Amino acid sequence: MRVSALLHITLCLSLSACGQLQDTHRGRSASDRAAASGHEGFKVALLTPGPISDQAWNAAAYRGLLRIRDSLGAQISNVETKTPAEFDENFRQYGAQGYNLVIANGFEYQDAVQRVAPDYPQTMYLTTSGDRTGQNWAGIDFRFEEGAYLAGVIAASVSKNGVIGTIGGTELPPVKRGFAGFAAGAHSVNPRIRVLSSYVGNWDDASAAKEQALAQITQGADVIFQNADAAGLGVFQAAKDSKGVWVIGSNSDQNGVAPAVTLASVVIDLPHALFMIGQQVRDGRFTPAVITLGAEQQVVRLVINPALGPEIPRPARAAIDSIHALQMAGKFVVPVDTAMNAAASAPATGHGSSSSGRSRGLRD
Amino acid sequence: MSGSVTAFFEATVRTATPLLFAGLGETLAEQAGVINVGLEGIVIAGAFGAVAGAAVGGVAFGFLVAAAGGAAMAAVFAVFAAILRSDQIIAGTAVTLLGLGVTGTLYRWEFGPSGAALTIPTMHAMPLPLLDNIPVLGPALFGQPPVAYAAYLLVPALWWWTYRTYGGLALRAVGENPEAARVAGIPVRRVQFAAIMAGGVLGGVSGGTLVLAQVGTFAEGMSAGRGFIAIAIVALGRWNPAGAAAAAVIFGAASALQFLFQAMGWHAPYQLFLAFPYVLTLAALAFAGSARQGGAPAALGRARID
Repeated sequence: MRVSALLHITLCLSLSACGQLQDTHRGRSASDRAAASGHEGFKVALLTPGPISDQAWNAAAYRGLLRIRDSLGAQISNVETKTPAEFDENFRQYGAQGYNLVIANGFEYQDAVQRVAPDYPQTMYLTTSGDRTGQNWAGIDFRFEEGAYLAGVIAASVSKNGVIGTIGGTELPPVKRGFAGFAAGAHSVNPRIRVLSSYVGNWDDASAAKEQALAQITQGADVIFQNADAAGLGVFQAAKDSKGVWVIGSNSDQNGVAPAVTLASVVIDLPHALFMIGQQVRDGRFTPAVITLGAEQQVVRLVINPALGPEIPRPARAAIDSIHALQMAGKFVVPVDTAMNAAASAPATGHGSSSSGRSRGLRD
Repeated sequence: MSGSVTAFFEATVRTATPLLFAGLGETLAEQAGVINVGLEGIVIAGAFGAVAGAAVGGVAFGFLVAAAGGAAMAAVFAVFAAILRSDQIIAGTAVTLLGLGVTGTLYRWEFGPSGAALTIPTMHAMPLPLLDNIPVLGPALFGQPPVAYAAYLLVPALWWWTYRTYGGLALRAVGENPEAARVAGIPVRRVQFAAIMAGGVLGGVSGGTLVLAQVGTFAEGMSAGRGFIAIAIVALGRWNPAGAAAAAVIFGAASALQFLFQAMGWHAPYQLFLAFPYVLTLAALAFAGSARQGGAPAALGRARID
């Protein structure tokens, strides 16, 4: 009896330590919060498929959440889901608690949002990288491939071996589309360049991601575009340990992760996008839709590492600038092939069942 | 081509090393009749300890704190399993969840939401003179960081201790028949406690290897199932240190092959490649099981001692 009670305590401790509802407004009392915010009771939640310390996709979303707290006076909550079974459960929890906006950070959440949202009509559910919408749920469809295309131009211009690579977490449609954009950009410079592709199978096994990168490097790859969140840190480490290998980062500005080997990052200004939508939801002006955000909206862009700028040949920089200008004007369509687009818009099933059970999403 | 072959063997050894440490530690615990499914939590605690220690005191101190982190997690399990005689599977599951949760929380507390980046010092490869000139296999086996050599030496040392010393005999006696062991004057709980703690130290070193010899940073959940794979390795290795080493190499080789196949651009769904190490391990387990029944300590997993 005594033993089982102790065990229960340990289990409870460990479950709560696993991060349910972490970091809710850092100890400020409810009355403080209400006083601090012009909009009493505006509550926003964020679900991430991986740790917010990934310096990539989830870190960016978390910065967006903090911005909503600081600028809109919202009460915030953040939870990291480990398994698909937790998706519905957390959506229901937040809906039942009267949250105004629930942000689900990744494509993999979309089916669960579609199931749960109708039961909580007062709550707005937003899927980043989503491509469907409903009464009280919406998706942001990032044109990540626009930035990825520019990254491909750089990669092909810098590569000496004529071999470059992509490494992803799992093959979510938005990730795949980004890699297709990267390959298209690379082929626009060098039609004969080889583009290798590997997937880690999850988003946190940094050691396996490093091995994937080393395997590509053995095959001659000298520029690797990574989109694997926390696991992607291993790709940077592989480049640091090798000679003459560059990395291009994803989602957040990762140029500072390994400044000596990171040529550039394809950045999604997730904080800005989430803030804008948060503001509209707060003011009651938000109309659910599939919101497409890309270079034209200045949400997706390529950020070159200033320290390594000289490594990028002048003609490549000029090409990037002119393509980017066209993208900003909405006049450049990344030639991601039609088959890829068909795959991207299909509601993929089964992703999210990576070995760690947490797929992520999106980017793009 | 020979470059690819050498790279394949190198990746095999790198992948197998952390699995070997964790598997050897689990072998000790299971020889004492305790199945510790908290190993995953122990490995991640070791990984976090490595980052926390190395950030302050360099690589050697990182390994020390990694071992301590693994031991701390193992102590939680040992209290329930060896002293209070709780169900080992439930206690182990709790420890795994505890390890995964606590390390994430501590990591953010110590390094902030942006993490430690790649600032952690790592252990460099230390090629052994002459030996690393052996064609193909030399660089793979003897061009590794020192922690890999420690793993090589640990295998025969543990085998000798287990099968050739009184201490090893006592350990196995506890795992086979704790009542008889007690009658023979062996302190059963103390032996099990010690075996679990030794397993914790080795599990912690396993996590330390991931951080300090491979990745150079911590990522929440970076153990990524290695603790569970190590438990499978123990069964595949028939509860014997040498067998565990062979099993770790099989799994490492299958993983390395998977990395290589993907990078070579074979046109097949990548999930097939990812599944390959697990399929191979299952097949090997099935084969090993049919070839020779038994092998598991008779009292494995038993909470009650009469």
